[in-house]
Amino acid sequence: MNADEIDAQIRMLAAGRRLPPSHLARWLAMDLASRAAMLDIANVIRLRTGQLMTALETLEEIAVREHVTIAGVLDRLEIRRIVGRPGSAPSRASALLEALRTLRYPLLKKMQEQIRSEVAALKLPRGISLVLPKELGSDELTVSLRVRSAAELARLLEALDRSRPGLTRIIEMLGGKK
Amino acid sequence: MKFDLDAVFVEHGCAGSALATRILRALPRDVPVTHVADNETREATRPASGARDPFGAGKRRMVIARRKTPFLMPCHAGSSRFACCGYLVLTLASNCPMDCSYCFLQEYLADNPAFQVYANFTDSFDELDRLIDNARGRSFRVGTAELADSLAFDSITSISRDLVDFFASRENLTLELKTKTDEIENLLGLDPRGRVLVSWTLSPDAVYRSSEHLTASPAARIAAARAVLDAGYRVAFHFDPLIAYPGAERDYLLLIDELLDTVAPKQISFISMGGLRMTPRLRGAARSRFPGDPMLCGEDVLASDRRFRTFTPLRLNLYRTLAERLRKAGVEIPAYLCMEPASVHESVFGAAPSRPATIGERLARG
Repeated sequence: MNADEIDAQIRMLAAGRRLPPSHLARWLAMDLASRAAMLDIANVIRLRTGQLMTALETLEEIAVREHVTIAGVLDRLEIRRIVGRPGSAPSRASALLEALRTLRYPLLKKMQEQIRSEVAALKLPRGISLVLPKELGSDELTVSLRVRSAAELARLLEALDRSRPGLTRIIEMLGGKK
Repeated sequence: MKFDLDAVFVEHGCAGSALATRILRALPRDVPVTHVADNETREATRPASGARDPFGAGKRRMVIARRKTPFLMPCHAGSSRFACCGYLVLTLASNCPMDCSYCFLQEYLADNPAFQVYANFTDSFDELDRLIDNARGRSFRVGTAELADSLAFDSITSISRDLVDFFASRENLTLELKTKTDEIENLLGLDPRGRVLVSWTLSPDAVYRSSEHLTASPAARIAAARAVLDAGYRVAFHFDPLIAYPGAERDYLLLIDELLDTVAPKQISFISMGGLRMTPRLRGAARSRFPGDPMLCGEDVLASDRRFRTFTPLRLNLYRTLAERLRKAGVEIPAYLCMEPASVHESVFGAAPSRPATIGERLARG
């Protein structure tokens, strides 16, 4: 396909998805290889409007952060694997967005994984829940207990006390000390 | 004059004022000057509809106007949410000829972007005198850099001379001139009598090159700090916005080393730090004006104050790393965080912050 044909297809797809004009303009402003790669993925995975908008925005940000083209990002192994693997279009679409988000927020994703594995390692009993701040947007850890008797409360408090070192580690991680 | 102007507008009521006379005398001949009725300034200075970058264009259109509202006010960033520094703002100008990609003026002045300077700025001295008369024994730190850079255009306005003269004679007031320029010529021949501090926002070269358009280089800012220090001024530095880009930690530490090589720790009145924070509207405006700036695409998330900030562990780790390096400098340099809650202050410095008035007094007295 030549550039005009690619742009015509992009316009057609954008019209079909009712993509906002600002996002269509951003798509059309990309270099040719990036426009084509994005079109290919949008067709193969059948991204819905919101997903398409998120993908365009996230890809632009990754490209700016890493000084690469969007085509270069979409050509990465982890992305090609998602696009080429079997499975429903919706599951691949959500895997694609998650992979893009990991590329966009590499340290945040890594930190979230580390903290989640610390939480899992605590093996807290049912009745105690830890809620991490959304997107690690604060240093506040919410610990809640759900009990129906004094004995149950005592048991959970003991469990919490035993987990004190792990909890301290998590709080320190949230506060950027680890 | 180090910054270009496309046009100057003088309100009729300000024609013949000392400030207008100074500016028109110093202005290059090719800059057109238009006199406008006092109530028509906004309309007359509005960039043409459909202008590609009205905010950018507004920066090059100077308006000499009369300020009709008070000059002195508490810092607008102050909030019960944050541990504040007790800074008082003196608004003598509005807008800035430099063009930092992250600047909050892109949101704050979006609807009225012309660069305003206030011909009646000496009225602010009455407000300051009333302030100290009503709070005898207290000391205040007053800055002119909330809505403008304190020294940009000083080569044509010379406002700094009036300010230094005034503050040098007021025992309980400290003036902070905050800048990203090296326009210090007017300051060098004056005697501030210990009551004026000049502060610089410092950023690593990577941020300067990517985001701080038309500003002096970090090295030039540090050299200017050395020069005003030698001329009898106090100096302070703001690592604000602190931007957590890849390699930031190394670059900020190198910058601190470069600073401390030129200015001894004991000569620094204080240091502030503040992570990059942007409301969604500002973030949109900034990215639309500077789509290729990677500094605007950090690992920022929407925080509880509805601003995008670097996610907390990364931001706090950067604060702590810098605070640690400053602690190791051998002399305790007073430091505070801008627009962060007391809990973050405590986590970074190991102690709860004092009340804003107390911090303000401490920073004012030096």
